[in-house]
Amino acid sequence: MDRKFAGLAGAASLALSLALSGAFAQGTASNGPNDAQIAHIVVTANQVDIDAGKLAETKGSTSEVKAFGKQMVTDHSGVNKQASDLAAKLKVTPEDNPTSQSLKSGGADNVKKLSTLSGGAFDKAYVDHEVAYHEQVLDAIDKTLIPSAKNAELKALIVKVRPAFVGHLEHAKMLQKSLKG
Amino acid sequence: MSLRAILLAVVAAAALLATEADAATVAGAAVGDGATRTPKGVTHTIVIDGSRFEPASLTVARGDRIVWMNKDPFPHTATAAGVFDSGPIAAGRSWTYVARSAGSHAYLCTLHPNMKGTLAVR
Repeated sequence: MDRKFAGLAGAASLALSLALSGAFAQGTASNGPNDAQIAHIVVTANQVDIDAGKLAETKGSTSEVKAFGKQMVTDHSGVNKQASDLAAKLKVTPEDNPTSQSLKSGGADNVKKLSTLSGGAFDKAYVDHEVAYHEQVLDAIDKTLIPSAKNAELKALIVKVRPAFVGHLEHAKMLQKSLKG
Repeated sequence: MSLRAILLAVVAAAALLATEADAATVAGAAVGDGATRTPKGVTHTIVIDGSRFEPASLTVARGDRIVWMNKDPFPHTATAAGVFDSGPIAAGRSWTYVARSAGSHAYLCTLHPNMKGTLAVR
């Protein structure tokens, strides 16, 4: 039973990371997204985590999971306001692109799946996804978004929010450990 | 009637005593402060920006004031378990702590546990 569950969980997380790496698999620095697309990716990536966080605020079964969900809503909303303000200042209109679309549909799938779960199963699925998601977002920040960003202020904003995402990942991993224990 | 008068007298006396005691404490503290060091401690500022404490290490004297100023667009905390805990410091807000216990206090942001700092109090 345990082994079967572990196998299923492993398969699920593999599928998730494949889907996420697909979402971010857009080119290298030379043929990566342009600044308008990067702005759109940043806003979409934050929004996806806000949507999941809202669900965790209400459906989380422990105060820690609820608080983490609430923090994700607050933090990613703060980052998005900054990103939107910067885009407006730079007169950049965020441009939809395949990476954003993939992120959006992945986020919708996650919310759909989480909606069917409750109690400990919800907590585990939400936190596992948060760990994988932040890992993939950090990977995209390092390999695609920062190297591709042309505008110095846009690049600086991404560099500046990166440590917060590392913090979210560490926090999510701590939660993941406590849920197992 | 006379019972009420006695009660009033007791309450009044208690209030007077309390006032005198408070005044004595305040005066004592003021004298002590003046005798040992400058009247008010120094104020230090730690800026939280880009999810980092700047400076990450700071040495202060007891009685000094430390202000954590959050310039990020989301909350952070400055927490040294059992010593001090700011609770969430909202975006654009700050939190002040008066250093009381001597020692080297490692602290972190409980919301972003990768954010670490050290406050040494002499």
